[in-house]
Amino acid sequence: MSALVVAVLLPGLAGICLALARAVVSARGAAAAGAAVSVLSLICVVASWSARDGAYAGEVDHPWSTALGLHWHLGVDGISLPLVVMTILLCVLVCWSLAADVTSTTDAHEGAGVVLVALVLVIETASLGVFSALDLVLFFIFFELALIPMWFVIARWGDPGGGRLAATKFLMFTVTGSALMLVGFVVIAVTAGTLQIPTLADLPDPLTGTVPLLGGVAIAVGLAVKTPLWPLHIWLPDAHSKAPTVGSVLLAGVFLKLGTYGLLRVFVSVVPEPAARLAPYLGALAVAGIIASCLACLREHDLKRLIAYSSVGHMGFVVLAISTMSEVGVLAAVFASVAHGLITGLLFFNAGWLKQRYGSATFDVLGRGLYTRVPRLAVVLLFAATASLGLPGLAGFWGEMLALRSTYEPSPALDRTLAWTLLTLAALGVVLTTAYFVRVVRRVLQGAATPRDDDIDLTRTEAGISAVLAVAIVLLGVAPGLLTGVIEPAVGAIVQVAP
Amino acid sequence: MTGRVATGLSTAVWMVSLVIVLPYLQPDTTSTYAWSDGGGLLDVTLAVHLDALSARLVLLVTTVTVLVQLFSTSYMRGDPRYRSYTALIGLFEVAMLTVVVADDLFVLLVGWEVMGLCSWLLIGHHWELPAARAGAVKAFVMTRFGDLGLLVAIVVTGQAFDTYRISEVLAQLGSGERPPAGIGLLLVLAVVGKSALFPLHTWLADAMPGPTPISALIHAATMVVAGVYLVARLLPLFTPAALTVLALVAALTMVLGALFALMQTDLKRLLAWSTVSQLAYMYAALAASDADAAIDHLLSHGAFKALLFLVAGTIAHATGSTALRDMGALRRSMPLTFAAATVGLAALAGVVPTSGFFSKDAVLAAVQSATAGDGPLQPAVAWILLAAGLVTVVLTAAYATRAWLLVFFGVAGQSHQRAAPADPGAAMVGPLVVLGVLTLALSFSAEPHVVVGIVTTVLLLVGAAASGASWRAGRDPAVLAGPARAALERELDIDDRYLWLAGTVRRAGTMVVAGDRDVIDAYPRGVGALARLGSGLLHRTQARNAQSYATVLAIGALAVAVAVIGR
Repeated sequence: MSALVVAVLLPGLAGICLALARAVVSARGAAAAGAAVSVLSLICVVASWSARDGAYAGEVDHPWSTALGLHWHLGVDGISLPLVVMTILLCVLVCWSLAADVTSTTDAHEGAGVVLVALVLVIETASLGVFSALDLVLFFIFFELALIPMWFVIARWGDPGGGRLAATKFLMFTVTGSALMLVGFVVIAVTAGTLQIPTLADLPDPLTGTVPLLGGVAIAVGLAVKTPLWPLHIWLPDAHSKAPTVGSVLLAGVFLKLGTYGLLRVFVSVVPEPAARLAPYLGALAVAGIIASCLACLREHDLKRLIAYSSVGHMGFVVLAISTMSEVGVLAAVFASVAHGLITGLLFFNAGWLKQRYGSATFDVLGRGLYTRVPRLAVVLLFAATASLGLPGLAGFWGEMLALRSTYEPSPALDRTLAWTLLTLAALGVVLTTAYFVRVVRRVLQGAATPRDDDIDLTRTEAGISAVLAVAIVLLGVAPGLLTGVIEPAVGAIVQVAP
Repeated sequence: MTGRVATGLSTAVWMVSLVIVLPYLQPDTTSTYAWSDGGGLLDVTLAVHLDALSARLVLLVTTVTVLVQLFSTSYMRGDPRYRSYTALIGLFEVAMLTVVVADDLFVLLVGWEVMGLCSWLLIGHHWELPAARAGAVKAFVMTRFGDLGLLVAIVVTGQAFDTYRISEVLAQLGSGERPPAGIGLLLVLAVVGKSALFPLHTWLADAMPGPTPISALIHAATMVVAGVYLVARLLPLFTPAALTVLALVAALTMVLGALFALMQTDLKRLLAWSTVSQLAYMYAALAASDADAAIDHLLSHGAFKALLFLVAGTIAHATGSTALRDMGALRRSMPLTFAAATVGLAALAGVVPTSGFFSKDAVLAAVQSATAGDGPLQPAVAWILLAAGLVTVVLTAAYATRAWLLVFFGVAGQSHQRAAPADPGAAMVGPLVVLGVLTLALSFSAEPHVVVGIVTTVLLLVGAAASGASWRAGRDPAVLAGPARAALERELDIDDRYLWLAGTVRRAGTMVVAGDRDVIDAYPRGVGALARLGSGLLHRTQARNAQSYATVLAIGALAVAVAVIGR
């Protein structure tokens, strides 16, 4: 049994067992078990990676349905490994924060807590499956598998008011997108005769013509809903802000990366010619998303909605890098995805802790002068905001910088005049991002304090979670080579590497 | 306790860096160290380069930081956030040192931006004050805008020279490669932002609500001069077009800054505008391709401007205010401060034995030799720059004299009635003395320019006399501006344009939010409504009424029969 398969399936199976046994397991115990299982998963992934030979670590390839050509084909390379590790890290932190949540009072409440942990673990398995799938339909299966548990997380544990609507909107959008993506996969499979991603990526004659182009468009639109690409982003602010803390962290930290990873793995590498044709549109929409989301953030009064819109902006940088279809672009996309997962994960944890204390994340309810009222929590929020605005020396900068670099020197897919226009607009987006985060600090952290009784400073769990993410963000900020060293050898799997 | 630790650490840093950089003060001594080869796509190397230029700046930064930390132990006593204050000063020092010793452009950028972060957090130190919050935001956003120029310049440089190492880029330029035109212009944008040159000059005066020692450190001696260092280091990357733009910006800024300084009613704002004007002098020397003159002025300005800001801090500590009308007749009650201020203002105006005289003359001499047309600058542009420089000598002397008279002579201000101002303790006076001595001592290594020296001395006497005459006649010397006074007091309303821009951006944000809610979100809502409509219609067919089913069946059967028979 491959260590990678164990790593992918273990959390989900553990989650199902926990859910079935919820009458006898406490919520805290379940969360601790979840964290332990995720750590085991990480160990298996690392073992699999260090034992790799060949392009993909832990590769397994068994025919599953010969009629469909579907294979149980998993493997991780330098593109997917950072995302896998990031996903597991976020899930461990999520389970840790659930373990410290002592609001359970009744048996039903305890049972619900266990079910939440189980759902998180199923989501973890689904995400890990997406990142390791090397078969198109298997990719789709895992992609879909993540959606239903997340609907429950948002609808049942989210805001009592708009939680269900936000969850349903999220589900409808992403399911429609996935359906389109499946149509695209089928078109490609019929044209090329195989569903296996490595084979498709290495085809001697790349797919050209109208039919693959239509397939490519379908795949791109489907992934654009997930990433999200403006204007298909409308599901995101509601879903992120109405979800509970753990839901927001997983949505922003992991789910958005399923979309960007998909653009790399099943779009750019599988259908390069249609991708090159669509690249200008992707780039333009990405930059429109950067600017539009920055402008929206300048008017937002809800901290979680603001962070949600900022995610649209950051994903805009990632898609811009992907649309350049260059080596630096692929490097930028993966780096920025990992950095965003860590930074926005920290931001949403922070916003969630504030919401748990005060009941709402709107500026009016939070009040002013958090530096005085909850100093440590305020400093963590300051740090996360600084990282998110792309300050050099922290992780977020390298992703943005590499994205801008790739736009300066794009592949022939992007016309130079267009690329430099996009570069200028994206650079303006950097200044606007600074402006809205600085606005948050000024409005919420600074100012004359409005003290409240529920001003509780950072608890031990919160401090621990913040420390882990802060260390990771600083580490990637001062030593980006640690991550680029892993990604770079695998860039050739996505785009043509210049000789 | 924190103060002692902070000052002790800064002193240790000062001593260590003194030992390390002392050998490099000799010309033509250089060393480059690189760790972790930056091969591959990312191509970033942790590389350090030491030479005379970086050595002098290291000494400036570490010296001023020690003095500011010492000054702050007394000035900031009792401040609730003193620990974070000293920590941020430490972080700032590390960042500035990174900038001046970095050999890799990305390492330089990290230091450059972290300085901006520290500046933002420190200006907003007294964040209970709305002016401090606003000033901090303005400083950060405007300098971040300028920093885009540096970021894109680095990207372009990397692509053009296939390396991000400064030493390698300069070596390639030395062997004849011509730089792409855009790099110089982008770097000009970067320094316009960081050094508050026209048109991004409005943030520096609004940064004054920050603590005065911070104004001395960051907004006089170190961060704002990082741009001067950058241009001096990368001067070969500047095409004649870029140098021309730099020269014109410098010319306009030096005159504008001096005029605004003449109008100010607050001592710190006066010094801030004076800094803007003096920074323009440094860039004038750079535009004339004389990096040594620029750095000489940078060092002497660092000493006397830090001195003057600390004097302002001393006076604020004693009288409780930085407004000029609250001062006056302080020379008898604060003699040490008066002596220090006299030395500082004399250096600012360029009076003979101070280092300010020698460095300003070096700048003007450099510009004057550029008028001969041998260098990349067009003679016409050099003449404009020279004229601006000479006019500014007059204006600088005028506002320096005005400040001297209004603060230390005349009638005591209102705040004297509350408490008798006096010279502060050793922790605050010590740095003043050290900086005063430095202001005079730095002249020992300077070379005199006789002709230029005579001309500037005459001009400064004109300016000082004009101010003195106005003051003697009982009027504020600002009336020298004549009918333009009102417009200059409002700083030509340039800042209003930026406020309008910010307002426009916010309105655009409102439109985007409304667009998301009413336009983009209308589609999913519409689809949902459509689905419900369709479902409602189809629901009608499930009438659960046997008679309606029978009716439909009958009509249907009849229709089919008619259709079949009719064929």
